[in-house]
Amino acid sequence: MQKAKGKSWFIVVILASLFLSACGGGGTAEPAQDGKSAGKVTVRFATWDSEENLSLQQQLIDKFNEAHPDINVSLEAYGSEYDTKIAAGMGAKDAPDVMYMWNYPTYKDALEPLDEYIGKEGAEFKNNYYETLWNYNSANGKILGLPVGYTTHVIYYNKDLFDKAGVPYPKGGWTWDDLQASAKKLNNPEESISGFAFSGKPDPYDFEMFLWGNGTAYVDKEGNLQGSVNSEKSIEVLTMFQNMLKEGYAITTEGSGSTEMKSGKVAMFSNGAWSIGSLKEAGINFGVVELPAFHDGSAVSIVSSSGISMSKDSKKKEAAWEFIKFWTSEEANKARIDYELPVLKSVVESEKLQQDERKQVFYNMLEQSQDYTPASYKVENWSEISDRLGLVFEQIFNPSTMTDPKAALDEAAQ
Amino acid sequence: MKVSKWHKAIVYLFLIGFAIYFLLPFVWIVLTALKTEAEVHQYPPAIFPGMPQFVNFVNAWKAQPFGLYLMNSVTITVLTTIGQLISCSLIAYGFARYHFKFKNGLFILLLATMMIPWDVTMIPLYMQFNLFGWINTLKPLIVPAFFGSAYYVFLLRQFLMNVPKELEHAAKIDGANDFQTYWKIFVPIMQAPLTLIAVLNMLSVWNDYLGPLIFLQDRTKYTLALGLASFKGVHELQILPIMSITILMIIPPVIAFLYAQKYIVEGISGAIK
Amino acid sequence: MEQAVARHKRVRIIGKLTPYLFISPWIVGLLLFTIGPLVFSLVMSFFDWPVTSAPKFVGLENYTKMFTNDPQFYKSLAITLKFAVLYVPLSLITSLILAMLISQPVKGVKIFRTIFYLPAVVSGVAVSIIWGWIFNSKYGILNYALSLLGIEGPKWLIDPASAIVTIVIASAWGVGTMMLIFYTNIKGISPDLYESAAIDGAGSIRQFTSITLPLITPTLFFNLITSTISALQQLTLVLLLTNGGPLKSTYFYGLFVYNNAFKHHKLGYASANAWFMFIIILLLTALIFKSSSAWVFYENEVKHERKRGGKKK
Repeated sequence: MQKAKGKSWFIVVILASLFLSACGGGGTAEPAQDGKSAGKVTVRFATWDSEENLSLQQQLIDKFNEAHPDINVSLEAYGSEYDTKIAAGMGAKDAPDVMYMWNYPTYKDALEPLDEYIGKEGAEFKNNYYETLWNYNSANGKILGLPVGYTTHVIYYNKDLFDKAGVPYPKGGWTWDDLQASAKKLNNPEESISGFAFSGKPDPYDFEMFLWGNGTAYVDKEGNLQGSVNSEKSIEVLTMFQNMLKEGYAITTEGSGSTEMKSGKVAMFSNGAWSIGSLKEAGINFGVVELPAFHDGSAVSIVSSSGISMSKDSKKKEAAWEFIKFWTSEEANKARIDYELPVLKSVVESEKLQQDERKQVFYNMLEQSQDYTPASYKVENWSEISDRLGLVFEQIFNPSTMTDPKAALDEAAQ
Repeated sequence: MKVSKWHKAIVYLFLIGFAIYFLLPFVWIVLTALKTEAEVHQYPPAIFPGMPQFVNFVNAWKAQPFGLYLMNSVTITVLTTIGQLISCSLIAYGFARYHFKFKNGLFILLLATMMIPWDVTMIPLYMQFNLFGWINTLKPLIVPAFFGSAYYVFLLRQFLMNVPKELEHAAKIDGANDFQTYWKIFVPIMQAPLTLIAVLNMLSVWNDYLGPLIFLQDRTKYTLALGLASFKGVHELQILPIMSITILMIIPPVIAFLYAQKYIVEGISGAIK
Repeated sequence: MEQAVARHKRVRIIGKLTPYLFISPWIVGLLLFTIGPLVFSLVMSFFDWPVTSAPKFVGLENYTKMFTNDPQFYKSLAITLKFAVLYVPLSLITSLILAMLISQPVKGVKIFRTIFYLPAVVSGVAVSIIWGWIFNSKYGILNYALSLLGIEGPKWLIDPASAIVTIVIASAWGVGTMMLIFYTNIKGISPDLYESAAIDGAGSIRQFTSITLPLITPTLFFNLITSTISALQQLTLVLLLTNGGPLKSTYFYGLFVYNNAFKHHKLGYASANAWFMFIIILLLTALIFKSSSAWVFYENEVKHERKRGGKKK
């Protein structure tokens, strides 16, 4: 008897553990929200923005939900691991219905082409956007996302350091020679002040703008690296950057450079609009100016654009489009104005952004950069080429290698 | 045990040396959390905050529904710990104290499950949980714990292998059956390693970031670790909230550890006697 | 006597099923949550799967590419093995020393115990930021401190030669878990053993080698296997701190797999990579296991051949 009792206890424990697990923690987890709850369509919307802007986005969504009693948009925020999550979702055929997007060539097969949706809204709808941005939100000739924001790259400069060294602030239309001359004057090893800082392992996507500025690019029209990435002009660009390091008034940074800039010891660095907020918070007295031009070239910037896309597998496309339209409306553009540069011409006009001391610089750069398309849109295997180029740039800039640019680029072109 | 003066001095020397290495980065986190944004980045580095900014903690906590996240984290941590303790002690007992067919093969299989990187099993696992309808619930993070984890089973087995055989014989002679032997004799003996497992599990679940990232969607389901990560964007990160929340997140595991210490110290030897 | 024999028989019949009942939760879990994804990833290693569209069968192509046409594969493998060779012994020794230290009966040891354990509690996000600041070559805390002493610090994360060392230093910070495992084992050793050894005139070192070390071999074995696995799969720290740089000198195998999966979206290829590493780890583990009979001592296998001094009956 005793034995049987013990035995049953044993089974009870096992069953209990099975049961417990089957309930998944007894009611702590709400049942999953399926497509419809109480006649509402739930639209999943994923954003990569960090917490700083999430409350604002939630407010906007609440507004939308109130105005649309039949739709319920739920916000999903994934921060810096956004890509991992989205890829996993797509792989498992469970991607969010609506999501932020920038890397269209990589994700194009999982995104819904939007040309038809846009066509229905009339020509005015499309024309209100800056033309350049459509190129960046398409792949293979199809529009895959509506522009939400963008940034061009500019030079940030520390006004206090300029004042202290008695160097005049840079102005639009300046050249790399001007930048170097200023950097030389600003550089001060005794106080650990660096004249200019750029990333020691730049993202090849961003770095292509410097090649554009000198009239070349990574690839030619056919998508070949040979003869473009190792052209005379490309070598000239990289040699110039390397020389700045060799001459000692510039440093390479380990990240984008914003950390170094915030230390107050770097006079100039180049980045997108992302740094504005954090530099302000760090109490840096800074200004922004257009990128310098090459002697006979022009100042051109890559556009880092963010768009909003729809999943091809979504079962709620109508509701999703409704929300996408709202998210790209004038109202939403205005609401995001503190952290995102508006992409609608009408908003830029009504908010007088062309008169804003800082923001106008980004718009000027956008207009100057109209006819350039990044290599990532021209080649099939960009992520691999990007890997290779990234390593080459690192070899050129890393103090332990300082590889000759010509040799390094020739190898990259192989 | 008696300890000589020299011995003591050497012990303290090492203790303090290691303590510096282990504490410095941590102290820097604390100091950073109390600084202003400008002080954080200043160069030469400011060691102490001019005026400790305790408000950073309040701001960080208020920035997101951390109360809710805390609830989720606690739920997951408590339930997985219970699950691991029950399942791992049973499984490890089976592996350590019995001889049976396929034992070695099964044990190797158990170890093998620790060796597959999650990168490639994550998507199929996602699909499977999606099939169960568990995505966007806490279930994928809790339920598997009730079926044991190879790491803890292995660890516990190592401890159980070290218990002399005579114990079971004695129990059998007293008329106890297998489950009674496990429950009445071995569970008390396992007190120290089970406490250890509870501490380790709490730690890894508390800080787990990838699991929640992949299996949760709705912000109301988020855990503390996921909330912490949302202070980190693709381009910029918010240092002060990250440091503040990190410190607040340390408190529960440290309290649990302080509490658990004495059960570890009382160890196996105490129970056998 | 007869009763005892009968009981024995019954025990044997039940005994056949009992062990399986004990391990049944694991078997159920294996079938429910593990086998499916595992097999799936193996199958995928024979496919070209770009994540965003349907997989395509390619046979052994992923494997042949890996072995014959991807120099990064060998480089990453070499870096990872180098790291494991540096990290595994270092972390084992450090955590063992720490565990010995916190078992000493000295005042304030409780505080030190918590201090050593603390780093294991801190979340990875903050840790990687802090290490990034500490090791920043130009505006970093460590090099600033060194400059005050008149030393020019190395370019930690810029120079490939020092980068891997930096990673080792940063990873060794989290040995608290291993320390705790050793500690639990050490605390389980009966004090009587030490006392009788002391009466026999054994010094601290002698006590360590003849009592502590043999008795903690089961956890040493555990820590050896798990730290080998984690060293070979190291990802989080390099992902957050160096992202494989400088000059791919910390492009660990784990990062190689991760990037193939989530940056290049070649999940089939990544699966092949992962399965190759799986085989290596499995072989290594088997090797360690094979060797274990020579150096791991389990009390319930010792029986009576190996009598220890002062052992109570």
